[in-house]
Amino acid sequence: MECALDAQSLISISLRKIHSSRTQRGGIKLHKNLLVSYVLRNARQLYLSERYAELYRRQQQQQQQQQQPPHHQHQHLAYAAPGMPASAADFGPLQLGGGGDAEAREPVARHQLHQLHQLHQLHLQQQLHQHPAPRGCAAAAAAGAPAGGAGALSELPGCAALQPPHGAPHRGQPLEPLQPGPAPLPPPASLCPRDPRASAACSAPSAPPGAAPQAAAAASPPSSPAPASSPGFYRGAYPAPSDFGVHCSSQTTVLDLDTHVVTTVENGYLHQDCCASAHCPCCGQGAPGPGLASATGCKRKYYPGQEEEDDDDEDAGDLGAEPPGGVPFAPCKRARFEDFCPDSSPDASNISNLISIFGSGFSGLVSRQPDSSEQPPPLNGQLCAKQALASLGAWTRAIVAF
Amino acid sequence: MIPGLGALTQDTLWCFSQLKGTVEIGATEADIISTVEFNHTGELLATGDKGGRVVIFQREQESKNQVHRRGEYNVYSTFQSHEPEFDYLKSLEIEEKINKIRWLPQQNAAYFLLSTNDKTVKLWKVSERDKRPEGYNLKDEEGRLRDPATITTLRVPVLRPMDLMVEATPRRVFANAHTYHINSISVNSDYETYMSADDLRINLWNFEITNQSFNIVDIKPANMEELTEVITAAEFHPHHCNTFVYSSSKGTIRLCDMRASALCDRHTKFFEEPEDPSNRSFFSEIISSISDVKFSHSGRYIMTRDYLTVKVWDLNMENRPIETYQVHDYLRSKLCSLYENDCIFDKFECVWNGSDSVIMTGSYNNFFRMFDRNTKRDVTLEASRENSKPRAILKPRKVCVGGKRRKDEISVDSLDFSKKILHTAWHPSENIIAVAATNNLYIFQDKVN
Repeated sequence: MECALDAQSLISISLRKIHSSRTQRGGIKLHKNLLVSYVLRNARQLYLSERYAELYRRQQQQQQQQQQPPHHQHQHLAYAAPGMPASAADFGPLQLGGGGDAEAREPVARHQLHQLHQLHQLHLQQQLHQHPAPRGCAAAAAAGAPAGGAGALSELPGCAALQPPHGAPHRGQPLEPLQPGPAPLPPPASLCPRDPRASAACSAPSAPPGAAPQAAAAASPPSSPAPASSPGFYRGAYPAPSDFGVHCSSQTTVLDLDTHVVTTVENGYLHQDCCASAHCPCCGQGAPGPGLASATGCKRKYYPGQEEEDDDDEDAGDLGAEPPGGVPFAPCKRARFEDFCPDSSPDASNISNLISIFGSGFSGLVSRQPDSSEQPPPLNGQLCAKQALASLGAWTRAIVAF
Repeated sequence: MIPGLGALTQDTLWCFSQLKGTVEIGATEADIISTVEFNHTGELLATGDKGGRVVIFQREQESKNQVHRRGEYNVYSTFQSHEPEFDYLKSLEIEEKINKIRWLPQQNAAYFLLSTNDKTVKLWKVSERDKRPEGYNLKDEEGRLRDPATITTLRVPVLRPMDLMVEATPRRVFANAHTYHINSISVNSDYETYMSADDLRINLWNFEITNQSFNIVDIKPANMEELTEVITAAEFHPHHCNTFVYSSSKGTIRLCDMRASALCDRHTKFFEEPEDPSNRSFFSEIISSISDVKFSHSGRYIMTRDYLTVKVWDLNMENRPIETYQVHDYLRSKLCSLYENDCIFDKFECVWNGSDSVIMTGSYNNFFRMFDRNTKRDVTLEASRENSKPRAILKPRKVCVGGKRRKDEISVDSLDFSKKILHTAWHPSENIIAVAATNNLYIFQDKVN
């Protein structure tokens, strides 16, 4: 009768319950789903604190190593840390620094968390000014995805509006216009109103690639200047394939902490990255989705636990396997997601379907009907348990039954 | 029979009395009993099931010939209370399952009860008819209209006795007042009003008025994303018509006084026990959610049931319960599995006996537990077909929690979690209990010596 008290399995079980509750007779049971969301929150807290502890341990180890090659590792790890605990720590009921001692000992990460927290708070305030832009953005994304370039960042679901205020990286242009700012907040209209839990990453413009090395340095504890570390952190923390060490000047990476979709635009090409893990059933299978970027635009899976692997990738396409049904920017193609996972287990496609539904927030989940005739939520793309982990903050409490 | 006296001393033995319900083979999900309730005299016993039916049993008059057997309960009336519905606006199916039945006190020859599903409360009148009029002028004996041209004489219709017929008619339908699922109804002691509670709101109704209800509690947050708790049960005070309590999924109970304000969002009393941090787990929130709250007959105490315990609270002390009883603490280490198979969401009810000296609640494997508040004894009994011989004495059961298992003990891993006793009822003045085990209703009485 024993079951694995593993945080991840609990999360997937909980998500499955929420998903199946939508099709149960009698409608969604508010009480049960609320309780399940508490379990989700608890499991995520544990998972994130474990992750952070592990992260800290690694950083301790690597501080004794060389600087240059593991540079990106630092970045990556530093990214990974806030990417997870940040969301955990500040999005929602969880407290910053709730990860325990490890977090407390990590001043830079804490600072980054704090910045994320600020960004998120401001973002939360601006949720009130939601406007229907996301669909438009997503639609634009859908249109723009094949082109792969123009307004690349606008094609991030829900992050579209980042672009205009900061200048879109246009095809072929150096991505200088994307200026880092310490806690930049685009005007409300440009936030990601699609999803209340859209993360601070949406608010943070990405740094020009040139900032990457400094950002990378910034990401490493503890010497980085605070302002540069925020967007630079986003930028540098996630090593785009060609980032390591030298990089092309026309590259920008933006991470959407909400969806863990990392977009790297290189020379006008779009790299569509999706958060996934080795365990994530929704990725790593299936054919490349249509409408995705060109050959150099590759999907890189973000494996939080596999930073070293990623670091070694010079070739963006190394991890190659496209996220299945990889049309994250085509809202209307969400329903086809399952088509691209023919090999997935039923559980996997259910969970990924669930999470793509989930993507628009728990309110979106619960207020929607499971039939595909309804207009799909603006967010699409492959979310998986990892993303759920990062984005649980607001929607652990968000249950709109009707 | 002095109710409750020595209810759980060594002298008290519970015996099987009756078993109602379908045999296992023909059982469908619609037959699963979802609520059990005695009326105020104990003469009637009502059950509701998942199929929306209500079955009322009536106790036989005790015959002087057979003093050993006290009155048995036989079917008195059966009717379809609720039908499945479809909310076209929200594309939602509304289950016909009867969530709660509550009797009104009897004021004339007819019986009245409230039954509710997730959305609609209905007032049913159950009345007897043992005479019928015969000899109409304009209708013949079958009820067909006669041709007026053939009528040549007039006569006065007379009432003739007929076989007893019990008919149930819906007298009121209280609909469209709840957005969320109704979990409780409670008749006020003024017998004019009652309340219905769903996950986020409680409404006050007058029995005569069906198109309006008064909202007295609303805990819906402005932003649903800030929702942290829901209402799980509510009940009026047995004597004070202005007082009621409602429990929450966070393990708290609020007592409200309707005289204080129209909208009782601010409680008068707040009952909460501080959480034991050493027991914290993934499922702490789930197992602390209160599934049932009941006032004692005296009105002095309330009893709450959460997943693992039953607690008795004194209305005069808010910071902790006065008594806590472990129902099945051996499940604490199994919470993860119970979460996986959804058993952790089971909502167990709890009941007082007539004198408030013994409390009873259900468990798994068709076990149910009784706790004597005075002697601090407790007993575990089982509702099973094997023990279903007339007047068979129920043997106390025991669950062994690891280590050496004794002969008649059952180990935790052998428990059947599909056999759960969620609904029980205790006769208001006698030691007669009704225990619903899935689709069967067991009636037990204490042994008459």
